[in-house]
Amino acid sequence: MNQRWFARLRYFLRTAWSGLRESPVTGSVSVLTIALCLLLVGSFALLVANMERILDRFGEEFRVSAYLEDDLAEADLAMLRERVAAAPGVDRVDLVTKEAALERFRASHIGRAALLEGLEENPLPASLELVLAPEHRNAAALERLVGAVGGLPGIAEFGYGADWVSGYHGAVTLVRGVAMVIGAVLVLATLLIVTNTIRLAVYARRDEVSILRLVGGSRTFIAIPYLLEGAVQGLLGGLLGLALLVTLFHLALPVFSGSLELLLGYVSPSFLELRACAGLVSVGAGLGVLGSAAALGQGRLGG
Amino acid sequence: MKHLGVEPAHAGAGAMVRLFHVSKSYLAGSWALRDVSLELGKGEFVFLTGPSGAGKTTLMRMIFADERPSEGQIIVLGRNVSRLSPSAVPALRRRIGVVFQDFKLLPRRTVEENVGLALDVVGTPPRERRARVFAMLKRVGLQHRRYHHPLSLSGGEQQRLAIARALVNDPEVLLADEPTGNLDPDLTLEIMDLIADAAARGTAVFVATHDHGLIERYGRRVVRLEAGELAEDTPIRRPML
Ligand SMILES: Nc1ncnc2c1ncn2[C@@H]1O[C@H](COP(=O)(O)OP(=O)(O)O)[C@@H](O)[C@H]1O
Ligand SMILES: [Mg+2]
Repeated sequence: MNQRWFARLRYFLRTAWSGLRESPVTGSVSVLTIALCLLLVGSFALLVANMERILDRFGEEFRVSAYLEDDLAEADLAMLRERVAAAPGVDRVDLVTKEAALERFRASHIGRAALLEGLEENPLPASLELVLAPEHRNAAALERLVGAVGGLPGIAEFGYGADWVSGYHGAVTLVRGVAMVIGAVLVLATLLIVTNTIRLAVYARRDEVSILRLVGGSRTFIAIPYLLEGAVQGLLGGLLGLALLVTLFHLALPVFSGSLELLLGYVSPSFLELRACAGLVSVGAGLGVLGSAAALGQGRLGG
Repeated sequence: MKHLGVEPAHAGAGAMVRLFHVSKSYLAGSWALRDVSLELGKGEFVFLTGPSGAGKTTLMRMIFADERPSEGQIIVLGRNVSRLSPSAVPALRRRIGVVFQDFKLLPRRTVEENVGLALDVVGTPPRERRARVFAMLKRVGLQHRRYHHPLSLSGGEQQRLAIARALVNDPEVLLADEPTGNLDPDLTLEIMDLIADAAARGTAVFVATHDHGLIERYGRRVVRLEAGELAEDTPIRRPML
């Protein structure tokens, strides 16, 4: 039984290989189409990945401060802290006492400590600093949080460490959404082109297909070499697309690095992770296989 | 021995191919085949003859399920071809060797690959495949051509290649549609001996031919069609040696 499978595999590989060699033009068209598609999709992925990376950096510092009323009793504070900690999305609650707040202010305004010299009383309020779970670092979750704890006695007002973060988060979500839609359209368009290209190749070999049927080749037996050809073309297209993306990334980086630094601050743009690269190449292979399958389906292999 | 007739198989359950009142009409109002009934037993060798357009090719195509009968039933290797589901067709065809009138060779594959194809569809292990293909090519005298492509062969060589592909897997039924039409007399006899040999080993053989000399020489059962109707079914005749 094993030997039969091995024999079949050999036949499929051999046939797919000669098929690839017989139609270099249609093959190249498929490979290039897939490469181009993945270059574009990869560029979007690169953009979104880097935007998310920035968000992660700032997200770590993304805290909500609940400023406390002065003269809060020890027991009330403890209870308040407990209730805030239980609110949705709150990872951790740190207490910043009036003294600590003053200390911080001094540390961040070195040289201008004189500002506070004349005061006999510490004007800074104590606060609870809420560290949010990553998935709650957005405007909607914030609103929910404020709704949940805002009315608690003892809280004077809220302050957000970095207001722009939630705006930026919205921007990233938007860009990601747009990129996904455009990516899906691109992938579908590519599938269509690849299907039509492969259909030409199948059509050119329709006599062969009918002869294979006459000598007892099953549907699967006839289809597998074409699917393998598609997979190889897709894989090559994926690798080529990835290579183009890497090249463009390294060529473009020095050109834009000045303005990027302005935009991204200290986060330097980096290339896609290995998993994303593998994903991109797999999408290529998938496109090739699906294109072949669709072409064969339209070509009607019969029983 | 080779040229001696083999006893016709007993009719009935043992038959490899059975036609019951089979008719075929491609175009409404005209019959390519009309009410044909016959049986072919294991190891039986039948000449199918008749003028061009008599229905020989049509009869063969229905046996390997390339066409369905318009009326009647065809049982091949225990399967009712008239009602066979499309997915069951390949398995049936793998047990039938067919020599097509127009050969139907794969032009982009070598002689070796064309013959091997009949073994590839059943998944014959590589070593056995190579041995059988080589032995078969030797029997039809094409071993020196095994890496050529069919289009670079002469008509006679292509015909021998088609026969090699049909026989390499020891089919239970062999359908040969004018298999010697392009061969010179010497080669014709060699090829016919090859086919008779297959019959002697148990293959049920149909050979469509116009060649009366051949029919006389082999003295086998003759089925003659005329305008789609069974005009003659002569069981077995003395070979003219
Ligand atoms: N695919 C087809 N479509 C329509 N008519 C056909 C087809 N194949 C054969 N015929 C007709 O059926 C009759 C029998 O043809 P065929 O079986 O090829 O005869 P033979 O092989 O004895 O020469 C002929 O009249 C032929 O024109
Ligand atoms: Mg004919």
